[in-house]
Amino acid sequence: MRNTVRIISVLTVVGLISGTALVLMYNYANPRIIKNQKNEMEKAVYKLFPNAKKYDKVAMGDDVVFKVTDKSGKSLGYAFIAEGNGYQGPIKMMAGIKPDLATLEGIEILESQETPGLGQEIASDNFRAQFDGLKTSPEITYVKNAKPGSPNEIQAITGATISSKAVCTILNEQIKTIKQKLSK
Amino acid sequence: MEENFYISPGPHIFTKSKTPKMMKDVIIALIPAIFAAAYFFKLKAIILILVCTVSCVVFEALIQALLKRKVTILDLSAVVTGILLAMIMPPSLPIWTTVLGSLIAIGLTKQLFGGLGSNIFNPALLGRAFLMAAFPTYLTRWNAPFTLEAVTGATPLGMVKFGHNMNINFGGLFTGNVSGSLGETSALALLIGGAYLLIKKTIDWRVPLAYIGTVMVISFVTNLVAPGTYAGALFHVLAGGLLIGAIFMATDPVTSPVTKAGRWVFGIGCGLITMVIRLWGGLPEGVMYSILLMNAITPLLNRLTRPRRYGT
Amino acid sequence: MNNVCNQTCTGCGKEFSKGLWRQNPIFVQVLGMCPTLAVTTKALFGFSMGMATAFVLICSSLAVSVIRKLVPQQVRIATFTVIIATFVTCADYFLQANFYTISKELGPYVPLIVVNCIILGRQEAFASKNGVFRSLLDAIGMSVGFTAVLILLGSIRELLGFGTIFNFKILGAGFEHWVIMALPAGAFITLGFLIGLFNWMNKKSKSN
Repeated sequence: MRNTVRIISVLTVVGLISGTALVLMYNYANPRIIKNQKNEMEKAVYKLFPNAKKYDKVAMGDDVVFKVTDKSGKSLGYAFIAEGNGYQGPIKMMAGIKPDLATLEGIEILESQETPGLGQEIASDNFRAQFDGLKTSPEITYVKNAKPGSPNEIQAITGATISSKAVCTILNEQIKTIKQKLSK
Repeated sequence: MEENFYISPGPHIFTKSKTPKMMKDVIIALIPAIFAAAYFFKLKAIILILVCTVSCVVFEALIQALLKRKVTILDLSAVVTGILLAMIMPPSLPIWTTVLGSLIAIGLTKQLFGGLGSNIFNPALLGRAFLMAAFPTYLTRWNAPFTLEAVTGATPLGMVKFGHNMNINFGGLFTGNVSGSLGETSALALLIGGAYLLIKKTIDWRVPLAYIGTVMVISFVTNLVAPGTYAGALFHVLAGGLLIGAIFMATDPVTSPVTKAGRWVFGIGCGLITMVIRLWGGLPEGVMYSILLMNAITPLLNRLTRPRRYGT
Repeated sequence: MNNVCNQTCTGCGKEFSKGLWRQNPIFVQVLGMCPTLAVTTKALFGFSMGMATAFVLICSSLAVSVIRKLVPQQVRIATFTVIIATFVTCADYFLQANFYTISKELGPYVPLIVVNCIILGRQEAFASKNGVFRSLLDAIGMSVGFTAVLILLGSIRELLGFGTIFNFKILGAGFEHWVIMALPAGAFITLGFLIGLFNWMNKKSKSN
């Protein structure tokens, strides 16, 4: 009986101390974590739209879309987050699109777990630069081992076709959703 | 002596004299494929084969001397590993990577596991698997026969799988006039070598038969179901590394089972994995990984298929 | 157990140094393989992982050795786990708050320190049976041994896989990166070679 009381009281005390410590830690860390995430997003938006002055979240359910404007208040287009499965894990990127929703401004990879040195090259400047000014209609496609021929094509990374294809697929999906919702 | 050659699980009585003879037979059987490689890929093929062979032998001698083992390069097994390694390399490969591949094949796969007879994996295949993982761009860059420049030309398997191009040049596949690894392109040369080995009884017929048979059955059925997506049985046998794998790699006496039943299972397993990778995997070719995976379970196959003692 | 005259601390040096070599958590105990293999693609990640683990190990060992006589036998593992999990969560929050990019690279492997066998192993095998000072030395020794191996492994893989160490360019542009070193296979091969080298050195020093 005495032992049972001891078990319960020890576990309770340890649990209480640990819970308190976690609450304190959470209060300290959470605002900073949110700031970090916001910074990251902000950096991506300003990189995609160098002339941007202001960006406002567009209410759109689960999809994260920002309307980007320059200092005179003129709309520069939209920045949105596209997420989906890559070769080894999720790929999360931010893409910028012009106000007419037909031309891409560019993409920034926010998170990816592709093979280092291969699939991870999707985050390289060379690969990403291919998306600058790309036409979104018809769907973005990729070509292998050749120079892209039409304005909606990119060249896949040698040895990492699946990762390259994933980027195109994820983008196409999200562009479709956004076009639908924004035109409403 | 040759006729009484009897294979069974351990304990073995070691007769050392057999290894060099067997290796000599394998080298003779590889000569047609070497000529085919030299014919289709010219000087590049000859340099690759020479560099691989020399570096394998040098590494074998060096490592054995370092580990204070008896230096056994005269048993010719390192020569065979070297030639086979070169035969499964793309012709455009930079020479220095093949030296690294030889080091992995001989040093890591063979000598660190205890030398000839103790290695779990086929040395040449593991050497290639290492290079494949280390330098994937080099190992997936093919040039068409008769061109010395590394002009990218997809292998027949790649064309069918990714290009959905069903115009198959069977004549090229048979003689070897297609892009691919040095020694895998010419089915004719490999079949001549295989026939020699079978006549000489250097290799057992069960593994190649089970392996090629399984591939034929699966490709025949899938081709019947979806002829637009999957190529036929003849294509899958002639294309890629199946023949060199089935004749020269899967029959490696060290890394394949010693029992008859084990050999059947080994061959069928290789065929299954090869076809799963070729038809539904991310890569166009699966021979290398299929044999390596089956190598890994060879000790298990040996134990499961051990003949029962009479009366038990 | 109740040796009050612990001031002399016989063998305290040993409690510290055993984690470095003789009982190295990776080379000898072969524990904590998950972070060892997964995060050591670069030296910096190995170092960060080592530091996070060290923080958790040292704090948990201290806490456990302080309360070791109060905890009933039946619930000791549960108690240890709660303590470890608390410190792990703190470490995770801290990294996310202050080293956001590193924390993103380490991904799930920081929260996974909870199940790192080195930590629970040291509580069960050492901190719950020894005094605070000895437990502290033991935890520091193990942490240093663990971190050192992670950095070594990370440096080798980073050098061959990216041509850099701690992001400093070592091998020039002519060097062809070995992609395999950035993959799990490279981790296994490198670790195998290191353990082989370690055993060879031990054998050599023993025979001398």
